[in-house]
Amino acid sequence: MTAAFYLPLGLEEGLETAVQRFGPAHDSLELHLPVVGPDDLLRWIQVLRDARAQNLARRPIAGIIRSLDRVSRRFLDPGDAARREAVDSLARAGRFTSPMLERALDDAFQPVTRGGLSRWLSSELGSVDALDRPAPGPGGTLRHAHGPEWMLQIYAGNVPTLPIWPIYSALLLKASLLAKTSAQEPLLGPLLARTIAEVDENLGACLAVVWWKGGSGHLDRTALALAPAVLAFGGDEAMASISRQSQPDAVRVLHGPKVSVSYIERRALTYAALRGLAARAALDISLYDQQGCLSPHAFYVERRGEVTPGKFAEVLATALEARAHELPRGIVAAEEAASVQLFRSQARFEAAGAAGAAGMSSGGGMSPGAGMLARAAWMPGGGAPSRGASRVLESPGATTWTVVLEDRARFEPGPAHRTVRIHIVDGPEEVARALQPSIRYVEAISLEARGPERVRLAAAFTSLGVPRIAPVGQLQRPTPLGTHGGVRRLLPFVTWSSVEGAAIKQAAPSAAAAPRKSKPTSTPKSSASRSSGRGSRRKAPKRRR
Amino acid sequence: MHESRMTKTLLISNALAHDAAFDLAARALYRKQSSAIPPYSGYLRHLGVDPSAAECWRDIPPVPTSAFKSHDLSAAPAGSEVVTFETSGTTISRPGRVRLSSTALYEASLLRSFARHLLPDDAQLPAIVFGPARAEAPRSSLWFMADRIVEKLTTGEQWVVRRGEPDWDLADATLERAAKDGTPILLLGITLLFAAYLERLAAKGRQVALPTGSRAMDTGGAKGQRAEFTRNEVAAAFHRQLGIPSTHLVNEYGMAEMGSQFYDDNLLAAHERRPSKPGKQIPPWVRTRVLHPETLEEQPDGERGVLVHYDLANVEIPLAIQTEDIGSRVGDRLFLEGRLLGAEARGCSLAFERFLELERAR
Repeated sequence: MTAAFYLPLGLEEGLETAVQRFGPAHDSLELHLPVVGPDDLLRWIQVLRDARAQNLARRPIAGIIRSLDRVSRRFLDPGDAARREAVDSLARAGRFTSPMLERALDDAFQPVTRGGLSRWLSSELGSVDALDRPAPGPGGTLRHAHGPEWMLQIYAGNVPTLPIWPIYSALLLKASLLAKTSAQEPLLGPLLARTIAEVDENLGACLAVVWWKGGSGHLDRTALALAPAVLAFGGDEAMASISRQSQPDAVRVLHGPKVSVSYIERRALTYAALRGLAARAALDISLYDQQGCLSPHAFYVERRGEVTPGKFAEVLATALEARAHELPRGIVAAEEAASVQLFRSQARFEAAGAAGAAGMSSGGGMSPGAGMLARAAWMPGGGAPSRGASRVLESPGATTWTVVLEDRARFEPGPAHRTVRIHIVDGPEEVARALQPSIRYVEAISLEARGPERVRLAAAFTSLGVPRIAPVGQLQRPTPLGTHGGVRRLLPFVTWSSVEGAAIKQAAPSAAAAPRKSKPTSTPKSSASRSSGRGSRRKAPKRRR
Repeated sequence: MHESRMTKTLLISNALAHDAAFDLAARALYRKQSSAIPPYSGYLRHLGVDPSAAECWRDIPPVPTSAFKSHDLSAAPAGSEVVTFETSGTTISRPGRVRLSSTALYEASLLRSFARHLLPDDAQLPAIVFGPARAEAPRSSLWFMADRIVEKLTTGEQWVVRRGEPDWDLADATLERAAKDGTPILLLGITLLFAAYLERLAAKGRQVALPTGSRAMDTGGAKGQRAEFTRNEVAAAFHRQLGIPSTHLVNEYGMAEMGSQFYDDNLLAAHERRPSKPGKQIPPWVRTRVLHPETLEEQPDGERGVLVHYDLANVEIPLAIQTEDIGSRVGDRLFLEGRLLGAEARGCSLAFERFLELERAR
């Protein structure tokens, strides 16, 4: 039995716990969970606030980064107990298999080792130590950043690694954290917090990661009514209720449901590149069994390439089969398999219409298909009959993977579990039209195109407001330097103290009194992280004073 | 379809409990539908299936419920429909449509099943519907059903939902009057709405002692977003707050894509003074196949899987319907499975919005 919660030292004692079963009934995992009441929450929040004042508020950022780096390295070390426990317990919960989890941990922790954490901070705050003291900001103004006193974070359970960057972000902001995990995945958050506490007890004192029953109104209300900052992930309705219940002046960053798509330009469709491209596309689809917001559900593939979209679909199907051996899927609940089966039946039903239409256009064989005609009149907006699926490729005897070929662009995410639609398109305009009405649900587009075409297409998609454009095969490896849902990860929670009129030169002596980080302000080449963070910024205003 | 009234009645008669009779009727209806519903014809051609060659009702290819969203799956000529029901839509997908040019058989089927499971004592009761009047929800098959029931089988009605909002005061007044007058009353509605009302009564510390013989039909529930309550909790709340015992709370399962519904057996059993049978009654004119979710092979009795229904009350729309519901079957009893308890919104991935519909539109 596993303790699926983490509370700082002292709070755990005397706490009543209950055993809750998670996962499929026939193979459920028994977890110890705290029995939480509103009074407990209030007490914990007070303890967390005190711990922050004592351990975190005035702590130099360098020490926090050092500790988080050690935590990341533990989870990256295949022999480390923390990583082993993460893989073993999550695999036993059943939704993801060990090979998938090993890969997921690598992908999630690699970007948040020491250098990555420094770059993350400086990319958002202008300098690594802006949270320690006034540091040069844009235009030479000195700015001191402040994180919130504490944060409430509420996680979704679709991908197990989801809590990682949020927990790090709270500590980087020198904020205490009360986090509510998801019933689907209550394991990794507490384990990460426990590992942080093992590495650095002062950081551990500022974390509480627990689960309580979703929608149990009074607990949510208690936490939300007090939280000065809220970072939450979940469905539309959950986000709306969080929005309603939080303080009016709380900083809220709410990430609702999203999915991703892919675009493949025709010149990238060569026989030489085909297998590699399909393998990378299959990786994006297979990772997290397509449960993530970065999982692609549709591939928009241009016609008139050396390789046809139909051929691409076939090779992708082969690649998905290969990935299914390399990254086996987790347990698929019957309800989810039923959705995949419905998706397949629907695609076959649509393909019947497409076959009728093909008969009509070639003028031979099949009758025009009265169904198509009836449907043309039926489809909203009248216009040309939209045909939908034309071919269905599927793993035999199981719902392991499904590829549906369609001869038009549309955006209608499937039931996940490695089901994907390949849409044959003329160009990005057609895709933009399909995505536009639901663009707020698009998290990222993976783009396969070369040279100037890549730039042109990327611009077409960024102008739609799509938060992230990534290479095919890289969708599931976002960098913390980027955004989540188009929103920076630290900045929204930061308030600033600015020092005007105090030129860098005047500030320098006081800053120099602090250890280490002062000198680089006058020598741009001191560290990669700082120069990359500030270099570009300083060029723009150029001698404003 | 130009069925005689007799044939129509036969389509939902007890005679169809016999497999051979069901088989004959199902294949005859299938052959008609294979030419009368154009997209279904196209689908059968695509599958390379010859409708006249079907040797058994199991050979009838089902259509997925989602096909009602993409295709006009009705034999009713355009413009001839007297009702158009909408099926559930999601954030992104549009709702499906069920067009019927005649509701005669649909009504006959729904009234028969309802009367058998809710009114086996032929009680004449006033009704209170926890839902909107038909005029306010003309595209809902559920409120069409409620409308037909109160019109044909009850002595009066109140509709609690008006202009999209529940009027709890009206519910209070109606139920309190029934308690005071000693008139048993029939409650019809959505489980979630009942749960909200019962919770409100509990919060206010109010209890209404409805007269003996009062009863309720609730639908939906386990398959909702808020799976916070179990069936037992709902039944306990009905008993505590309204005095309706669990023998008189009957759960129903149905969908816009089907003319027939499935009911719990508890009230009928109480009436017949026998223990109730577990699961829901599959009407004699319906067959349900349970398919393995991965292989789609037919499951033996008692094993869970994807439900595919064959409903002879579906005259103008395909009689064979593939759902994404999970359940099992033992003989003519159907066992539905709700979402796992404790399951909550998975968030982030839009695919799971599909599971989050508060109530299926039906």
